[in-house]
Amino acid sequence: MEISSAEFWGYVRQIGGGAVVTMQLFVAGFSLALALGTVIGIITLSRNVVIQAVWRVYSSIIMGVPSLLVIFLLYYGGSAILTGLFGMSRSIDVTPFGAGLTALTIVYAAYVAELLHGAVRNLPKGQFEACAALNLSAFRAWRHVILPQVARLAFPGLVNIWLIVLKDTPLVSLAGLNDLVANAKIAAGATNEPFVFFIAASLFFIVFSALTMPLAARIEVRFNRGLARVNT
Amino acid sequence: MNALVIDFALVWESLPAMLNGLWTTMLVTIIVLVLGLIFCIPLTLARMSSNRVFALPAAFFVMFFRGAPLLILLYLVYYGFGQIEALRDGPLWFIFGSAFACAVIGLTLNHLAFMVDVVRGSLEAVPAGLSEASNSLGIAPRDTFRYIQLPLAMRYGIKAYQNEVVMLTKGTAVISVITIIDLTAVANEVFERTYDPFTPMLTVAAFYWVLVNVMRLGFRRLESHLNRHHAAEDARRNEKPVKTIGSLLFHPSSWLKAKRSMLVARKEHAL
Repeated sequence: MEISSAEFWGYVRQIGGGAVVTMQLFVAGFSLALALGTVIGIITLSRNVVIQAVWRVYSSIIMGVPSLLVIFLLYYGGSAILTGLFGMSRSIDVTPFGAGLTALTIVYAAYVAELLHGAVRNLPKGQFEACAALNLSAFRAWRHVILPQVARLAFPGLVNIWLIVLKDTPLVSLAGLNDLVANAKIAAGATNEPFVFFIAASLFFIVFSALTMPLAARIEVRFNRGLARVNT
Repeated sequence: MNALVIDFALVWESLPAMLNGLWTTMLVTIIVLVLGLIFCIPLTLARMSSNRVFALPAAFFVMFFRGAPLLILLYLVYYGFGQIEALRDGPLWFIFGSAFACAVIGLTLNHLAFMVDVVRGSLEAVPAGLSEASNSLGIAPRDTFRYIQLPLAMRYGIKAYQNEVVMLTKGTAVISVITIIDLTAVANEVFERTYDPFTPMLTVAAFYWVLVNVMRLGFRRLESHLNRHHAAEDARRNEKPVKTIGSLLFHPSSWLKAKRSMLVARKEHAL
């Protein structure tokens, strides 16, 4: 089927609007997962039995279950969960965006926390002993000594999670979010041109990740500047 | 209404459908894994080839199918194949026209792209000195690859392969969008019939969890089998109490820890 260029650009504009939604969800999801995962990671370094048990169950479930299921669970059951948690009498509507954002945050926070554990384990013990010897408070030790080094060690893994979250974001369209993929699917169905629109949609993701790679490389160089060789 | 309770009668009632869904999920996973193992070696060799005619297309293949989200790939294959007239009128349409084949093709393309990097990484981890030594002993390049590089690379790469297999298994949840009745589709069906938001999703989640963890345990066995010649040394090196099955099952990071010490041991061996 031939389509006029006006019609074509109309679809492109619609897909562009969807791309904005996808990017918002992705950036918000990744940032929240990073923040929550860091907090969870620090808390679960404790040897407290209860904390360890909760962490083990949480991480094991998250790492053994598809993220799509978590999205569905939070979307279908979200309002029931909220009512159950806060005991509100009126039901709250859960939007696909809200459910997707919560699901991405919960799932990838576990991966970030796991990454942080690995990085902390790779840190020389002397760093912690030095903090104790200098009588730094726990907050200051983490803020000024441990976390900056953890950030350096965990950064490559974080880039990996960044890419995985990017590729998981379109799954939220299956909960009804009107994002890039949903709009591409509408356009492909209406115009009978699946190749054009789906390849364009996948190129969007590929180009975006390709564009962030040089940025990641620069950040990594900056993190490693303390270990870089002297330029002679 | 108590919101967070699982309706066991409903679980029991939908169990046959769920077992069917589980079978579909496992079948797709196994077919894709086998196809991935068959095609990954030639594709990796093409990617690593110094001849650009092979290396460039393979590099593009990996870039495209790694970077594109699985959902879009499935849509592309499922809706796109019908547009290719040569395919639609060809004799093989009964294959390409079925949703199952489309799911397998879409997943395989994605899986292969990741496998190329897994295989490449493990082949490059094999110390160059070994293949040089085998060259100087007059062993043919093909035999060097088969008997020296490949077995070692399998040991180095098994951890990355395990991650990829688990990712693929979890990724198969998406194939429900192209009308395949897998585990996730069954959960959705039960939800749409009963509007019970928790029971079907949580039951299916339990199925996935068991499936993934059985795979992890299998890989653990396989890995200790492949590394059995290190067992005595590893035991001496990390004199830690043996972990119980329960703690291993519940805590993936304890496996990571075990892996890491093994990795360190491996590096020392390589030196």
